[in-house]
Amino acid sequence: MKAIVVENLKKYYGKVKAVDGISFEVEWGELFALLGPNGAGKSTTIRVLTTLASPTSGRAFVAGYDVVKEERKVRKKIGLVSDKLILYDRLTVLENVFFFSKLYGLSDKEIYERAERLLKMLDMWEWKNMRVSKLSTGMKQKVNLVRALVPKPDILFLDEPTLGLDPHTTRKIRDFIKELHQEGVTIILTTHILHEVELLATKVAIINKGKIVAMDTPKSLKNLFKEKEIVQIEYEGDLKIPSGVKILESAEGYLKVEVESLEKFLHDVTGQSVRIINVKSFEPSLEDIFVKLTGGEAA
Amino acid sequence: MNALRIAWKDLKFLLRSRTMLVMSLLMPILMMLMMGYIFPKDYSDTSVKMGFYSEDPLFSLVAIPKMAKSGKVVVYKSRKEMLDALAKGQIAAAVVVPKGFMQNYTKGNATLEVIPSPSNPQAAIMISKMAASFMGREGKSEEKKVKVKLVGVGGEDFSYYQFMAPGMMAMIAIMSVASGLAASITRERELGTLDGLMVTPISRSSIVVGKILAQTVRGVVQALIVLGTSMLLFGVRVHGNILETLLLLILSTFSFIGIGIIITAGIKEQETAQLTMMTITFPMMFFSGVFFPIDQMPKIAQYISKIFPLTYAADALRKNVVIGSSIDLMTFDITVLLLFALLTSVLATIMFPKLVKE
Ligand SMILES: Nc1ncnc2c1ncn2[C@@H]1O[C@H](COP(=O)(O)OP(=O)(O)OP(=O)(O)O)[C@@H](O)[C@H]1O
Ligand SMILES: [Mg+2]
Repeated sequence: MKAIVVENLKKYYGKVKAVDGISFEVEWGELFALLGPNGAGKSTTIRVLTTLASPTSGRAFVAGYDVVKEERKVRKKIGLVSDKLILYDRLTVLENVFFFSKLYGLSDKEIYERAERLLKMLDMWEWKNMRVSKLSTGMKQKVNLVRALVPKPDILFLDEPTLGLDPHTTRKIRDFIKELHQEGVTIILTTHILHEVELLATKVAIINKGKIVAMDTPKSLKNLFKEKEIVQIEYEGDLKIPSGVKILESAEGYLKVEVESLEKFLHDVTGQSVRIINVKSFEPSLEDIFVKLTGGEAA
Repeated sequence: MNALRIAWKDLKFLLRSRTMLVMSLLMPILMMLMMGYIFPKDYSDTSVKMGFYSEDPLFSLVAIPKMAKSGKVVVYKSRKEMLDALAKGQIAAAVVVPKGFMQNYTKGNATLEVIPSPSNPQAAIMISKMAASFMGREGKSEEKKVKVKLVGVGGEDFSYYQFMAPGMMAMIAIMSVASGLAASITRERELGTLDGLMVTPISRSSIVVGKILAQTVRGVVQALIVLGTSMLLFGVRVHGNILETLLLLILSTFSFIGIGIIITAGIKEQETAQLTMMTITFPMMFFSGVFFPIDQMPKIAQYISKIFPLTYAADALRKNVVIGSSIDLMTFDITVLLLFALLTSVLATIMFPKLVKE
């Protein structure tokens, strides 16, 4: 049995095709990333898988249970950190953790011990009796993670868990996610940050406009671009574009290209009688991947 | 100029929510219709009767047989019997002829005590004036010698407040539930905590029942504050069993919650939910006889009043508080309230998961 099986899943909101026929599978213990730009359908996919939204068509199984017909069994297995905070702001950190965990039938002792361990991992233990409304965004998100984790979900859904957090907190949370993954929790993570996927995921599906456009390990997806590099140059004069170069963007005095070899490209360009103002070489961005994968504009 | 921009933005905001728009248009129409319907028509109902109970044996001997012949008076053998009839709405006012009435009558300072019907004190006050004239039939010239005193069941001075308080209690309980639910369910949805509840493996009905319990407590506490203040500051007296008052209050609150949950679960935005609640509770306030006696409303309004649980809640509570009737005189009210409460709660429990799911 796989942790998650999604078969040709569709979710339409009226005419909006939020999710338009996606299929994928997630193995137990995997850290599966759904990578896509805003409005791609990531959150919608998560909402269907966590039984919060009903699919328009297609099927999905979580922990072997049908998300439509066996909602309750699915719910017993999952934890959710969604884009909205699932915390009562007038309750304290521990009150929130206890309230939600009790609904899973855990004993007080068990909850307290787990809460202590997890809150300490995220440096939040000293805030345990603080009302959530008094915490900062990053602190709230940490508590939100703990709230989802104390009930020991087998499968954890994380919808953009680092959105709006500073680099330090972001790193802290990423390390925490990594640790959970090492402990064996199956994790579905959505993000629009390529870097996050590289750091964390064992498998990634790139989703755009409700469709999966690529699915692989982050490594092989990156290798797709590894042989090639992306260069952006600003120049003055007439530039003849060397052969073996794919144009990604071009404008008067500006060019963004994908090249086989940076060295050869620079050699070709500097050989011409143009004045180069600026050259930047960088790893492919998510946008570039879309341009390449979809052959069109990103979302 | 910027003020106009802000105004235009606000109006656009309103226009964009369809429910909000419909409700904003419906509300004033409903209000005006209501105003047209609830106000008493000319009070000329000649079918109303007065109850008489005499504590003065001499009066019973001399006057009662004659009075019983006129169709407008019902004579009772006991005080309780008369008060029960008052509670049942069979008479519009209960007249007590005190001991020694005849003696005082000949001396020219006789007083009749009149207990108005709790559901329509205004009418009772009007016809109580006639009580004196019934006496007058014996010796027309001496009519003026009989004074009429409006009293409560305990013999205390009549106060309008006493008659209003029970209905107000029920109303406040229900209104607090209405606003409480609009705040709690839609707010949880907007915040995201509703998602948090919905992904837990608990049964959906425990979410609904939990909401019902919390709102009932809230409604009842608020109603008790109304009762407390009216007792302490305005001398309202509870003539019935106070435990029964409490039970009736709980039932009244409970009766509205199911409807409240269905509405708030079905509406996504807090503001719209609140407006919708208001569109329902506002007419309810006027149609349910809390402020204006239902008897005096035109027929249509009387029918409309029957759809609001508050009508029955206010009626039962008035009987309890004002007359001190026992529960068995409120069987109808209680049955209707229970049915309301159970049916809507069951319906709410069934509908809730569907309403909340996308
Ligand atoms: N409740 C809803 N009603 C109508 N349309 C919706 C609803 N939720 C999402 N959509 C639409 O579905 C599409 C996908 O939205 P979704 O929230 O799944 O995107 P996302 O990938 O999570 O984006 P983001 O990175 O911005 O969170 C969008 O076009 C959005 O407008
Ligand atoms: Mg999203």
